[in-house]
Amino acid sequence: MEQIIIGTLEQGFMYAIMVLGVYLTFRVLDYADLTVDGSFTLGAAITATLITSGVNPWIATGMAVVGGSLAGVFTGILHAKFKITPLLSGILTMTALYSINLRVMGKANISLLRARTIFTDFANLPFMDKYSVLILTVIAVIVCCIFLYLFLRTEFGLAVRATGDNEEMIVSQGVNTQLVKIIGLSLSNGMVAFAGSFVAQNQQFADVGMGIGMIIVGLASVIIGEALIGNSSVGRTIIAVVFGAVVYRAVIALVLQLGLPPTDLKLVTAFIVIIALISPDLKQNLGRSGIWIKSRGKEG
Amino acid sequence: MLKGHAITKVFNRGTINQKLALDGVDIHLKQGEFVTVIGSNGAGKTTLLNSLAGNFFLDNGKLILAGNDITKLPRHKRANLISRVFQDPMLGTAAAMTIEENMVIALRRGLTRRLRKAITTKDRNLFREELCKLGLGLENRLTNKVSLLSGGQRQALTLLMATLREPKLLLLDEHTAALDPKTAEKVLDLTVRVQDEYKLTTFMVTHNLTHALEYGNRTIMMHEGRIILDIKEEERRDMTVARLLKMFEKASGTLMNNDRMMLV
Repeated sequence: MEQIIIGTLEQGFMYAIMVLGVYLTFRVLDYADLTVDGSFTLGAAITATLITSGVNPWIATGMAVVGGSLAGVFTGILHAKFKITPLLSGILTMTALYSINLRVMGKANISLLRARTIFTDFANLPFMDKYSVLILTVIAVIVCCIFLYLFLRTEFGLAVRATGDNEEMIVSQGVNTQLVKIIGLSLSNGMVAFAGSFVAQNQQFADVGMGIGMIIVGLASVIIGEALIGNSSVGRTIIAVVFGAVVYRAVIALVLQLGLPPTDLKLVTAFIVIIALISPDLKQNLGRSGIWIKSRGKEG
Repeated sequence: MLKGHAITKVFNRGTINQKLALDGVDIHLKQGEFVTVIGSNGAGKTTLLNSLAGNFFLDNGKLILAGNDITKLPRHKRANLISRVFQDPMLGTAAAMTIEENMVIALRRGLTRRLRKAITTKDRNLFREELCKLGLGLENRLTNKVSLLSGGQRQALTLLMATLREPKLLLLDEHTAALDPKTAEKVLDLTVRVQDEYKLTTFMVTHNLTHALEYGNRTIMMHEGRIILDIKEEERRDMTVARLLKMFEKASGTLMNNDRMMLV
C-alpha cells in the first residue's frame, strides 16, 4: 500500500511540472496549446539519447528543457507571425515533433536500465533511502512553482497575464503580444519537456508514444485543481494545479486498483475531463434540486 | 503637436464593398488643443481615430506626432506617445487582474516590461493618491479584481490609467456612449479635469452635439471621409446645436444622418 501511495505521489508531482506548463498557456495566456503532446516526448527523447551516449544526466535534463522551449517558439511563430489558429499551430508542431522525436532517438524507444540518471545521482547522496525520487521531484516542483509565481508578478509577467485576459488593452499599453505569446509558449513547453525528462529517467525508458494524450492529462489536472482549491489568485491557482495533478494520479491509481487494464487509461482521462467540463451545469442542476449545497463560483 | 497630412484609407479594396473611408484628411492639432469630432454614420470619425492609434496602416498620407513620424509604426510602438479610452468599458482594463495590477501596467505604457517585481510600495501610494481624485472609493480596493467594478468605474479607471504616464495625444472614442447619463456626466467631468491638468492634446469622438460644443476648444465635423467643418475660437463660442446642424447641411448637401446622434 505504501508503495502505491509513494508511487502515486512521485508520478503526481512529476506530471505536476507538465501541468504547470499547461496552466501557463491554457489559463494564463488563454491558448489551448497541443504542442504539449510532442514536447513532452521530445524532453524524454533528448534526455534518453544524450544519457545513452554518455552525457551527464543533469546536462541532458537541461538540454531537454531547451528542446521543449524551441518547440514552443516554433508553435508561437506559426501563430503570432503567420496567423495560424492556436489549435492548428499546436497540432502542426505536435505532428512534426513525432518525426523529430523518432529522429532524435533513432528508434521507437530507448531503455535507460542501469544508466546513470539524475535519480541515481540523487539517491547516492547521503541520508537518501527509498524516498529519494519523491524528494527530488518535490524539489523540482517547488522550484517551478516559485519561478512561475515570481515570473507572473514581474512587469513582463503582468503583460503575459493581460495578453490572455484582454489583448486589445495590453496592445494599447504598448506590449508586443506576438512576442509575449512566443515567450509564454516557450516557457510552457520548456516545463513540459522538463517533466518528460523526469518521467523518462524515473521509468527508465523513453518511448515515442509516451506523450500521446498528455494535453488532456494537463487539462484534467488544471480543471480538477481549480475546482477543488479555487483560482482566486495566481498563487492559489498554482498550488491548485499541482494539487490537481496529484489528485488526477490518485484517481488513475484507484482505477488501476479496481482492475481496469492500463490501456483504458486514456478513456478514463477523457471521461474525467468531460465530467469536469460539464460539471458547472451539473452543479447548477443539482443545486436547484437541493442536492448540491454550495456551488463554487468561477469567473468567466 | 499632431500633423496628419492627406490621410487616406480604403477598406476592401478591389471588392464590391470597396469603401473610401478616409479621403485625404488633413488635420493639425496644436499642443493642448481639445478637439471634439462629430459626423453622421460612416463619416469616418472612428476610422480617423483608429488611424491615429495605429489599428491599421494608411494607404496614403503621413502622421507626425510630437516630431516623430508614426505613419509606419505598429500600434504597440505608438503607445509610448498615445493613450486611448475605448467606447466599450470592458476594453480598457484587464478584468481578471486587480486594480493595482492594471494601474502598474498603465504606469509603464510604452516602456520595456522588465523582469522585476511589478508593484512597489511607492507605486501603491501613488495609485491610492490618484484613485482618491476619482472620489469613487477605489483607493481602498487596490487588490480587488477589475471585474468587480461597474462600467462607469471601469471607464473612470481607464481614463486615469491613460494619464498615469502623460501621453502626447489622448484618444477618446465615444468613451461615455455605453454609460448611463449620470455616469457619463461624471466621466466627462473627469475627462475635462485630467485634460486641463496636463494640458493634453485630445481627440474626442462623440455622438452628442451638445457635448461636442460644450467640451473642448475646437470641433470638427466629418462627412464621407472628409473634414467638412472646422470650428474654433469665436465662431465656436457663439455656436448652437441648431446652427451647427444648418452648417452641416449646407456643407455636406445632406441631412445629418446618425441614428445615435443626440441633439440635446
